[in-house]
Amino acid sequence: MIRFHSFRRTLRNVTLFGVACCLLSSMVLAQSVCLPAPRLLTTQPMGGKAGTQFEVTISGEHLEELGDLVFSDSRITAAPKLDAAGKAEPNKYVVSIAADCPLGLHESRVMSRLGLSSSRIFSVGTLAEVSQKLPNQTVATAMDVPVNSVCNATISARAVDHYRFEAKQGQRILVDCATRGIDSKLDAVVIIADAMGRDLLVERRGGALDFKVPADGKYIVKVHELTFKGGQPYYYRLAVQELPPDAPIVRQPSTSIVSSFSWPPTGLPQAAATNESEPNNERQQAQKIALPCDIAGGFFPAADVDVFEFEAKKGEVWWVEVASERLGRPTDPSILVQHVKRNGDQEALTDVAEFSDIPSPVKVSSNGYAYDGPPYNAGTADILGKLTIQEDGLHRLQITDLFGGTRNDPRNVYRLVIRQAAPDFALVAWAQHMELRNGDRNALSKPISLRGGSTMALEVIAIRRDGFDGDIELAMENLPEGMTANGLKIPAGQSRGMMLVTTSANAPRAFASANFFGRAKIGEATVTRPCRLASFAWPIPDSWGEIPSPRLMMDVPVSIGGFDLAPITIGPVNKGVIEAKVGEKLTIPLVQAIRSEFSAATMQLKPIGAGFERAPAFDVSLTADSSQAVLDLAALKTPPGDYLIAFQGNTVAKYRHRLDMVAAAEESRRKAAQEIATLEAEAKKLAEAPVAETAEKKLEAENAVKAVAEKQKVATATLAAAMAELTRATQRAQPTDIVDIVVSEPITIRVKSPESK
Amino acid sequence: MVGANSCRIRHALVFFCVIAMGFAPAVQGEEPAQATVSFSNDIVPILTKAGCNVGVCHAKAGNGQNGFQLSLLGFEPQEDYEHLMNEGRGRRLFAGTPDRSLLLQKATGQIPHGGGVRLKADSAEYALLRNWIEQGAPFDTAATPKLVSFEIQPERGSVKPQGEQQLKAVAKYSDGSVRDVTPQALYESNDAAMAEVSPAGLVRVLEISGKVSVMVRYQGRVAVFSAAVPLGAPVDNLPPAKNFIDEHVFSNLKQLGIPPSAVCDDATFLRRVTLDIGGRLPTEEEATAFLADITSDKRDRLIDDLLRSPDYADFFAAKWTTLLKNRRDDASDIVSNFAFHAWVRDSLLANKPYDQFVRELLAATGTVIGNPPVAWYKRVKEPKEQLEDVAQLFLGVRMQCAQCHHHPFERWSQDDYYSLAAFFTQVGRKPSGTRGEDLIFHKRGIATANNMKTGVPLRPAALGDTLPEIAADFDPRLRLADWMSTKDNKFFAKALVNRYWKHFFQRGLIEPEDDIRDSNPPTNPELLAALEQHFIASGFDLKELVRAITRSQAYQLSSVPNAHNLVDRQNYSRYYPRRLQAEVLLDAIDRLTATQTDFQNLPPGTRAVALPDNSYNNSTPFLRVFGRPEGESVCECERVQSSSLSQSLHLINAADIKAKLANGQGRGEKLAKQAGPPEAKVRELYMAAFAREPRADELKTALEYLAEVPLDAAGNPVDAQRASRENFQDLLWALINSKEFLFNH
Repeated sequence: MIRFHSFRRTLRNVTLFGVACCLLSSMVLAQSVCLPAPRLLTTQPMGGKAGTQFEVTISGEHLEELGDLVFSDSRITAAPKLDAAGKAEPNKYVVSIAADCPLGLHESRVMSRLGLSSSRIFSVGTLAEVSQKLPNQTVATAMDVPVNSVCNATISARAVDHYRFEAKQGQRILVDCATRGIDSKLDAVVIIADAMGRDLLVERRGGALDFKVPADGKYIVKVHELTFKGGQPYYYRLAVQELPPDAPIVRQPSTSIVSSFSWPPTGLPQAAATNESEPNNERQQAQKIALPCDIAGGFFPAADVDVFEFEAKKGEVWWVEVASERLGRPTDPSILVQHVKRNGDQEALTDVAEFSDIPSPVKVSSNGYAYDGPPYNAGTADILGKLTIQEDGLHRLQITDLFGGTRNDPRNVYRLVIRQAAPDFALVAWAQHMELRNGDRNALSKPISLRGGSTMALEVIAIRRDGFDGDIELAMENLPEGMTANGLKIPAGQSRGMMLVTTSANAPRAFASANFFGRAKIGEATVTRPCRLASFAWPIPDSWGEIPSPRLMMDVPVSIGGFDLAPITIGPVNKGVIEAKVGEKLTIPLVQAIRSEFSAATMQLKPIGAGFERAPAFDVSLTADSSQAVLDLAALKTPPGDYLIAFQGNTVAKYRHRLDMVAAAEESRRKAAQEIATLEAEAKKLAEAPVAETAEKKLEAENAVKAVAEKQKVATATLAAAMAELTRATQRAQPTDIVDIVVSEPITIRVKSPESK
Repeated sequence: MVGANSCRIRHALVFFCVIAMGFAPAVQGEEPAQATVSFSNDIVPILTKAGCNVGVCHAKAGNGQNGFQLSLLGFEPQEDYEHLMNEGRGRRLFAGTPDRSLLLQKATGQIPHGGGVRLKADSAEYALLRNWIEQGAPFDTAATPKLVSFEIQPERGSVKPQGEQQLKAVAKYSDGSVRDVTPQALYESNDAAMAEVSPAGLVRVLEISGKVSVMVRYQGRVAVFSAAVPLGAPVDNLPPAKNFIDEHVFSNLKQLGIPPSAVCDDATFLRRVTLDIGGRLPTEEEATAFLADITSDKRDRLIDDLLRSPDYADFFAAKWTTLLKNRRDDASDIVSNFAFHAWVRDSLLANKPYDQFVRELLAATGTVIGNPPVAWYKRVKEPKEQLEDVAQLFLGVRMQCAQCHHHPFERWSQDDYYSLAAFFTQVGRKPSGTRGEDLIFHKRGIATANNMKTGVPLRPAALGDTLPEIAADFDPRLRLADWMSTKDNKFFAKALVNRYWKHFFQRGLIEPEDDIRDSNPPTNPELLAALEQHFIASGFDLKELVRAITRSQAYQLSSVPNAHNLVDRQNYSRYYPRRLQAEVLLDAIDRLTATQTDFQNLPPGTRAVALPDNSYNNSTPFLRVFGRPEGESVCECERVQSSSLSQSLHLINAADIKAKLANGQGRGEKLAKQAGPPEAKVRELYMAAFAREPRADELKTALEYLAEVPLDAAGNPVDAQRASRENFQDLLWALINSKEFLFNH
């Protein structure tokens, strides 16, 4: 009995623990991250053939009151799909691709109530397009696909999609499945099997299957997710095409990883001046080069070592840059440069330099619970470094792929550039993250779609080349009316700046493709470099269970929803330049426009920009309409000059979805109720009217009563519908705790020297 | 861990053997006159023979036993001497009154000793010890001869059942002297059911014919006596040899006088080879077609068909991924586990040469998704684990013991251990975006590993073979892979062919299959060498190896014993039946009952042999009960192939089995509803279960049973439909529970 009781007690404890865990998780889940942002998640199909017109169905998050479906190239256009009655069908568009539209990838977005949505890749190709016909999950139900076509499909969980093609012996068939490169979550396994479904050739690492047909007949292509996940985000474009025997394999195009923003250096020719010449694995086979050089090479075959030799003189300074990962290859280049002193057959080698990764200029978030840095990596496994020659004479450079010991893939190419210093920079930006909630990456799939009266912060990172260490000013142009952008510059020697995009409260609904760039003085010249935008392809609620896949955008879309307003707007009372003298305590009066309830009474703000990050955080009230910031210029040791700063914090708003719909529903209810009251009065009046004397009048009175009764019936139904809609709208408008970043309007400060007036 | 346990178990066995033994009087051979007793050459052997320095006694890791520590089996005489002389408050040795020395008093039981009486006071060993103490217990000098070789005489021989063979152990020293150390040597039979050996080296052979060996150890040296125990029966009707395998197997059988069973019939072969290569039962269609085929090469063609099929890749991937520890400890392991399993499976499907397969695993770099063998480095993180797993799995050598001390049964020292570890010391790791996963790369630098005991940094060396210096830029793991795939490598091909031989014959030519050492000789060395050469010559072609094995008549012998070979368990005179592996059995039951076990989040129709990792063992009790391994070790022994009561009960009465029998879409229901003669239905069942037609008596029994009308709970006959359904379910149940179904035979 004792054991039994002990067992039961344990059971109860376990149960209690379970309940506690459930409570905890529900509490944690009660607060979500990032105010609703419009996200286009799928288009079906995911692309089309140039010169055709076809129907596209879209789906997404927070997509209400849809407007235009727009593309990053104006040669792709869309119009709403109309039904027989001429009414637009929800979520359907007719897309036209002009015959001269560039082949490859484009961005598609849809204008919604909250602004322009996040992007989804849209492919334009030359193959015939087909769409998956379900069911096709067994050999028996395999869908026939003609050779030289591309099939747009979505895989279901626990499913293996089957396709069948027919081919002749000796034909070369390329089966290529585009997935991650077109924003899909699918890690595809693609298999070519015989007609019975017995596997012949398998590809699981995103490669294409190059299949030499062994005999005339039908073959099966199977597609599934590596771990058999599936659903709407797991879509793909399966291309089955015939290739001439010696033709190179050209894959379906793919998006670029974030780190590729820093490649190529400005002015680098498309093709390298020199090609690596094998065999050059051993020192005896070293390829002779002269500096500067620009070499195209490959890490092939496995464990390939490419050795180059050049003469250099003491004191020479060269810059070495290698691209391979940034070309989209899964490589990790490494370079060793040695000085070679020969004495007969003997060699004395002295290490001069080793080069490996380009580290991220800012700490990248580790995969813990909270972000301890941005979750984007501007660094790369490629190489960018300074080579200072220590001694006259022969030098040997060997380049290897640290990931290439056993991999035999001729696609793993590199470009090696050794040049004299050409100071420059490259920029990338992404939406500012919150330190909280690493587990919830919703906030990282964030279009630049602003509510009225809001400011959005973008973090801007620079990779500096060849010793350039000057200021980089940031700017954004071609913005819609009511939107402004202010760059918090990347200070000299540093790598991080901010771009603040602000909308006025009354900014009208609009979207535009902005021009985002950085400007710096390099030597005597002022140069301008584009700033690429990076984003996560998907909102990811559970980053531990899913590897995020950020990518570069092809353009910089900005928009204003025009309906919703920010929960809070903070800005300086004085919109002009605020002046102070060196060493003073600068007080900045702030004004708050509060449009929401918050879970806390105050919010902590910290200055950002121009070295003011060192200033302590301060609280502002979330109930009052004004506050102030005090900056101790003495403590900050701020020298004289003009500064652009802002204040940033997080707060949990009691977000209420579409209060306008509640109001509208209430108005409908009120009108319906009023109508009913009116009709009741009318009915009463009719009932109380004297009995008609003539049959004709009597009939007339009876008809009038009937008509009113009929109207009452309709009005009652209308009221019921209005009540139901009110209930729904009220329910949806219940306050929800949502944490989001709050950034003040930018503030310009002029710090003057003590002597100045 | 298994290796380490095995090491401890063996130490314990040695200890208990020693306890059970008395001591033979010392036999002096051509011993030179010695002025003083040598600690290393005279005293340590006595301590070793008496069992003082076994792993469970004073050589126990930590602090020995009750504060008195000796090195394992006397491998470190200098340390042992210091423990004796300088510890125990000087009471262990009294030069003035040697008999009062704690060493002698404890060993003879004059004062209480946890290890019991180890020496008799009137023995020659006692006298020698006493003499040494009396001489002042000196340690060796530079002039003390060193042991340079050790051999056993004779090295091999033929001993009849119930016969005896006295062994002579001979030690040779650096001064040219030779000593008969038969009484001091330690003896161990590799098969206690075949031969016993006394502490004095007298081998007594028992009843079973075959090959048996006795391992003889002396002062860190090992020698082996191999005996053939002939049965002596006439071996007249050997099947014609089809390849070199048959030549060697039949030659051995002839030598031993063990006549093999006849070659099995087509149905048996079809079922056997389909299970062994494809891990599945043949379908009824396959069975019908094969039995009807009258061409002479149909068996060879069947083998080729099976090797081409993805079933082969699935089945052998299950074997390899388990050994490579593809286990799921966290839900987030799923991607790496699936990718790794897929890499193994696809490599097998494409028949990637084995040396290339191992190379890609050993020297993996990059990310799991980009290069799935990197997942092995997620599972096996430390260089020690890496070398131990690689040595055991790919070289058939268990190095675990040598981490802390000289290997007790082998020539491997701690230097060998850490030299092998050095290959893995330049494995660099960078964090990846995925929790728990690192990017793996070669970290530039000269690879060295410190010998834990001496602190000396060691360069990479592969099991005694010194390799050319490895430059800092070069990944030493690639050198290790190069070394493995050299044609004269003594371990790599041998370990694989022995492992695969065991897969098809249930017993390795060396047992255990991953314990290849001089002291554990193969039962048929010529065959093992020929397999090795064939495998190397084929370019490490795994399918060719399977082809050669399964094409042989030896593989195709019947499992039915003849009058002579029932007890044969090691000479392959017949096929040794084996219970189907857990996954294969589950698939077989699914196929027979025409049902499908559902595995979480995998496509319907996924076979159990195709499961990527161990995580499904929890949700499918059948797999656990029948011993599907968890991927915790590199030892095939983790797979439980023994029978148990729970297995019997599961097959008889478990809910999943009952559900399969009663499945509305299953074969039982189909046959119950289907029109047609019952004979055809019984035939279908037998073809599905056994790949053969029912015999007349079986058919008669089955038909009679099907004609019976069961009674309901009230004792009334049930209706015809229910009777038919229940009868077919019963028949299926009976077939599943038959040995013919449960075993590959």
